[in-house]
Amino acid sequence: MFNLSNLVQKAQQFIEPALPLAVPASNDQRPSKAALFRHQFRLPDSQSPLQEITAELTLSPHHSTRSSSSESTTGEKERGQGNHYVGKLHLSEQYLCFSTQGSSFLHSASLTSSSSFTGQTHGAGPAGNGFTLPLCAIRRVERLHSQSYMFALAITTWNGTPDSKAKKTAPSGQKLTIQLAGSRQQCERFCDALKRGLREGIKDVENLRAVVAECYSEYLLIDDKDEAAKEREHPDTGLGMIFRYPGNARKLRDATKIRLWKEYLRENGRSVTLVRQPTFHKLIRVGLPNRLRGEIWELTSGSFFLRLEKPSLYTETLAKFSGRNSLAIDEIEKDLNRSLPEYPGFQSEEGIGRLRRVLTAYSWTNESVGYCQAMNIVVAALLIYMSESQAFFLLSILCDRLLPGYYATTMYGTLLDQRVFESLVEKTMPILWDHLVKSDVQLSVVSLPWFLSLYINSMPLIFAFRVLDVFFLEGPKVLFQIGLAILRINGEELLDATDDGTFISVLKSYFSRLDESAHPRSDNPKLRAVTRFQELMVVAFKEFAGITQNTISEQRAKHKDAVLANIESFTKRTSIRNLGPESKRLSVDDLGFLYDKFYAVLYERQQRAEILEQEAERKAKAERTKASAIFAPSSGDNVQRGRVALGPSPTEMDYDAFREFLAGIAKWAITDSPSSPEQENSQPSHSYFGNSNRNRPSTSPWGSGPEPADHEFMRRLFRQWDVDMTDALSLQNVVTGFAQVKGTKDIMSNISYFFELYDDDGDGRVDREGILRISEALLFLSRRGVSQSGSPAASTTDVNSGDHAEKGNPDEQFLSSVSAFIRRCFEYADPDHPSHRGDHALDSATKDMDNFAIGEDDEDEDLISLSAPTSPAPTQNKDLQTSSEDHTPLSPHDSIKSAKAKAANLALDPNKPLYITLPTFRMVILADEVLEHFFEVGFSSSFRLASTSPPSHSSTASNLTTFSNAGKHAAGSTAGGLGGVVGGAGAGVVPPSKGLRGMLDNIVSDGMRVAAEVKRRMDEAQKEMDREARQGRDDEDEDDEPSPAKDADLLEGAETADVETAGKDRLPEADLLVLTGSGSAGGGRKRSASDASRKVLEFER
Amino acid sequence: MADSGAAAPKPSSSVKLVLLGEAAVGKSSLVMRFVNNDFQENKEPTIGAAFLTQKCNLPTRTIKFEIWDTAGQERFASLAPMYYRNAQAALVVYDITKPSSLTKAQHWVAELHRQASPGIVIALVGNKADLAAEAAAGDELGDDATEDTDAAPGAEGEEDADADNADQRRVATKTAKAYAEEEGLLFFETSAKTGKNVAEVFTAIANAIPEASLKGPRGAAGGQSSLGRQEDARVNLGSVRPEGAKEGCAC
Repeated sequence: MFNLSNLVQKAQQFIEPALPLAVPASNDQRPSKAALFRHQFRLPDSQSPLQEITAELTLSPHHSTRSSSSESTTGEKERGQGNHYVGKLHLSEQYLCFSTQGSSFLHSASLTSSSSFTGQTHGAGPAGNGFTLPLCAIRRVERLHSQSYMFALAITTWNGTPDSKAKKTAPSGQKLTIQLAGSRQQCERFCDALKRGLREGIKDVENLRAVVAECYSEYLLIDDKDEAAKEREHPDTGLGMIFRYPGNARKLRDATKIRLWKEYLRENGRSVTLVRQPTFHKLIRVGLPNRLRGEIWELTSGSFFLRLEKPSLYTETLAKFSGRNSLAIDEIEKDLNRSLPEYPGFQSEEGIGRLRRVLTAYSWTNESVGYCQAMNIVVAALLIYMSESQAFFLLSILCDRLLPGYYATTMYGTLLDQRVFESLVEKTMPILWDHLVKSDVQLSVVSLPWFLSLYINSMPLIFAFRVLDVFFLEGPKVLFQIGLAILRINGEELLDATDDGTFISVLKSYFSRLDESAHPRSDNPKLRAVTRFQELMVVAFKEFAGITQNTISEQRAKHKDAVLANIESFTKRTSIRNLGPESKRLSVDDLGFLYDKFYAVLYERQQRAEILEQEAERKAKAERTKASAIFAPSSGDNVQRGRVALGPSPTEMDYDAFREFLAGIAKWAITDSPSSPEQENSQPSHSYFGNSNRNRPSTSPWGSGPEPADHEFMRRLFRQWDVDMTDALSLQNVVTGFAQVKGTKDIMSNISYFFELYDDDGDGRVDREGILRISEALLFLSRRGVSQSGSPAASTTDVNSGDHAEKGNPDEQFLSSVSAFIRRCFEYADPDHPSHRGDHALDSATKDMDNFAIGEDDEDEDLISLSAPTSPAPTQNKDLQTSSEDHTPLSPHDSIKSAKAKAANLALDPNKPLYITLPTFRMVILADEVLEHFFEVGFSSSFRLASTSPPSHSSTASNLTTFSNAGKHAAGSTAGGLGGVVGGAGAGVVPPSKGLRGMLDNIVSDGMRVAAEVKRRMDEAQKEMDREARQGRDDEDEDDEPSPAKDADLLEGAETADVETAGKDRLPEADLLVLTGSGSAGGGRKRSASDASRKVLEFER
Repeated sequence: MADSGAAAPKPSSSVKLVLLGEAAVGKSSLVMRFVNNDFQENKEPTIGAAFLTQKCNLPTRTIKFEIWDTAGQERFASLAPMYYRNAQAALVVYDITKPSSLTKAQHWVAELHRQASPGIVIALVGNKADLAAEAAAGDELGDDATEDTDAAPGAEGEEDADADNADQRRVATKTAKAYAEEEGLLFFETSAKTGKNVAEVFTAIANAIPEASLKGPRGAAGGQSSLGRQEDARVNLGSVRPEGAKEGCAC
């Protein structure tokens, strides 16, 4: 609420500017204005200010004479010819509200000093004098003929229950006269809207009837002379009816109070039709009578209107969740026996049952709050004076509006208000404050329970209820005023206290003597009669009259960030400490960094989702008509949801969030082809994406950060870290994952880790396809070393010009290392023995197959399929096939089979499945200096955490962007043709992953060359193989010179894809077809490679 | 058991002690037992924290405990720093029938080690010992109080044997004790209900408080304000006070 506009601005930065998402400045004002309006009149969130006009309210003199049946009424204000109040008349969907402006009431009774608490209060203050009238409670509206051009309306309210209608004695409804002050046009517009609202309101009359019937005021007023009505059931006015109300009724002068209220209500309307006049405020200040207390609390807090909106919500909620269990319920059970245990009602099953039901029902309606200790005390207190349903709605108002965040899981509201209170003490009582600081007494250890349980367990109950009377009318500022007054009154003694203990005992003894005389030694008997509590009230509301709701709001806004930050740092500290032993392998700084990144990503994602949602909502709302019955949730208030300090927030990231997270940590995780919508479309079937799609209606979902890549490697990492198999990572998972990657400096374990990533079935072997994937991953990881020139999306600015000169070399080095890696892998890999090398490939394929089938039960299927299809299609076909999967849904098996089949074609004799083991892998890595270095340093330093200096750009491993040079050429020239494929890549965007793929192609062809050689050395057992080998060479020739010629290839490549798709199932023939097209496949390969994620899809399937 | 030996001529000093632990492990009951020698089944939950004092007479001096009994509900955790700030002693309580409460207790210990005053004396207390099977509880508790390490394994065996009996113990004494030793904590198993070991805990803490860190009745410690009150001291006690600060104001 407070920095809403900031947030909106910030939020806008997350969203790409080009979006149609308009959160214009005008829009961010609107919710807050509506919120102010609702707060002022205590209206439910469904209401928004539709019309507003200056008006003068006249309470007709006729009105006061008509109530002459009790002529004792001589409320001072009625003495005149009726009262005139100038103020604003507001119309919302279902309410007509009137409130005086602050200036209309400067004269006033001494105690009340109403000017300070009536009038405009900017939000949550009292509504001043006036009324809040549900439209359904208006019986008729007449336009009066009046002098001048003024519009004047006479409003007759629905007052009284239907059964009293017949009786002539029953008031036929009070009359309010309102003069509208505005241009004729304005007045007419207002009246039109009012008319519409009234028509709509008719359907709510049933609710009204039901709700009003439960009001004690109806009962109170009816039984005058009406015999029939006397038999009406006494409405439920809380446990006090059964177990007595606290305090001595005579001492509290309950009867007198009831009489006064009866008069007031008779003249000024009751429950919904109540008109607030100065007497109203005064009557509340002196304390409400027991049986009317619940109803007035309901009215002044506005919970009545909630109940009017959904009268049966309470019972429905209970019914809906009956028998269910939750953490909140467990916590509630623990406290039921210990809520106001000194009140007899809560020693009985009846009272405890009510308490249980109200707390439980609320915990279900607001699960993010659930149950917080102290709520039990507050609700127990409410239940003494009101029915369960009334208490339920009042609790909602308390938690949602009056005490925001007090009971949230982080209790940020409580902490914030403590901070506000401290700063008010500092401002208003500097001497005391200095003393507190000097003696190192922390104020909030004393004051926190005051606020949290609304003084209920600090003061004797009867006084706490008096505070509540005013609190519900005037809002949260009352808690502050009372608190300040307590300190002011005890100031002298507190100045003598130098430690917490004394401080507390001074106040404790003060509270226990609130009923004593404030001036016991005074000669003036009147002064002697003033109790300490009365003194407290006077000090609170007179001396601290300057503390308005506005003050509180300002102070809250001022301290909010600091308090939230403190809570967050506490939470962070705690949660980092509780990450377990694995996390010790990372430095505290790193953990802190990971924590921040982790939650920042989650938070931002939630923000974006929410803003988009709001926007959608807004649009939806705009599309609907202006029908008055629109219920618009006040989403504006919730913009900050998700911030850790504000309560429950997501704690797990899905794969998309993980990608975003990685993109913020590792350069390689940033995509090469930003925002290509086609990327999403190509993967509709994947569960991860199901999630994210909802977040991105037509927009980049990545906010301000760089768009993350989606590489198979990242998915592997995600799955590896997702040890609980929940498709989501907790901070714990992420930290453990990083601990494995970065927590060790041991090259051997790094190598093993990498190997395990690719050892899908955990049998210690990585097959042919896996080898290729590893090499691709190596290239993926290292593709972004120095310059980002090819990628406009990349926001990282780590161009290290110093390295520029040698840039080419390391890149090439790495490239050749990887190709060497492939070559060696194939060289040393073997199903059984190292001796089974290409030379011995004479052993027929079937033999190998047998070996496998025997040795590897779990791999049976794949292996068979591997050896079966065996036709040498160049790798690129794999990609082609993948890209064509858009249109050809395949069963996962088919896809794997064919993928593997294709992969198998890459290098060696496809009839001969092979694998490498960890030792082989290790050996191959260690055999190459560049790779060795990569695993020693490069890999783990490619994640940049807090304590890691940015990866040294000169390190061979991470300095490989020159790929793009190789690829860029081809890519650039093909960009035009790619338009359709890459889609959203946007004008001038060259997907730089072409570069990667270009390099990969080279490597692959390298492998091919090896394969060809090996094959040639073979005994030429099969003719087909010969052909393949030749073909492979052809391919290689082409790949060696990335040239504009590829332009043309592209189209052909596309064709190949089609052919490939069509033939996929009939493998042998298909492969033949592919072979014929393989020359052009190079281009197609490039195309598909631009979109690395497709591969992942294929892999996943 | 401490009593209000007000007129004791022995030197008297006050010690701020804070109780921490999961909800409903019996923190307030322990304090009740210690302060009033009383036990209530239904105690009002603590809102924020309750403040009580009790004296503890040692042979050479009198310790006046200023006890801050904090609320246990998870969400009140963020308020805790405001209570343990400047505390010289802490009682971290868990429930021997609830393993999760020990985990929580360990978190609190870690929190205190890092954020509370350096040199804070921490006692790990497994409450509700009355719910453990008689034999196991009886042997062990006595032994633990006298810091007999050998007793633990034996008791453990017994406890296993009784497992299907009415024994509700779910946290082995050995486990908790080992942890306490590792972290350098005092360790007790208590029962607020029967009063077992309660006074011993407080006496042990009183004895463990280093003489140097004792100050007189708090009134004299006004000069402590040099520690300053950071704006955000309430939640963030990030700045660890220098070790010397405490000694500095000893008097």
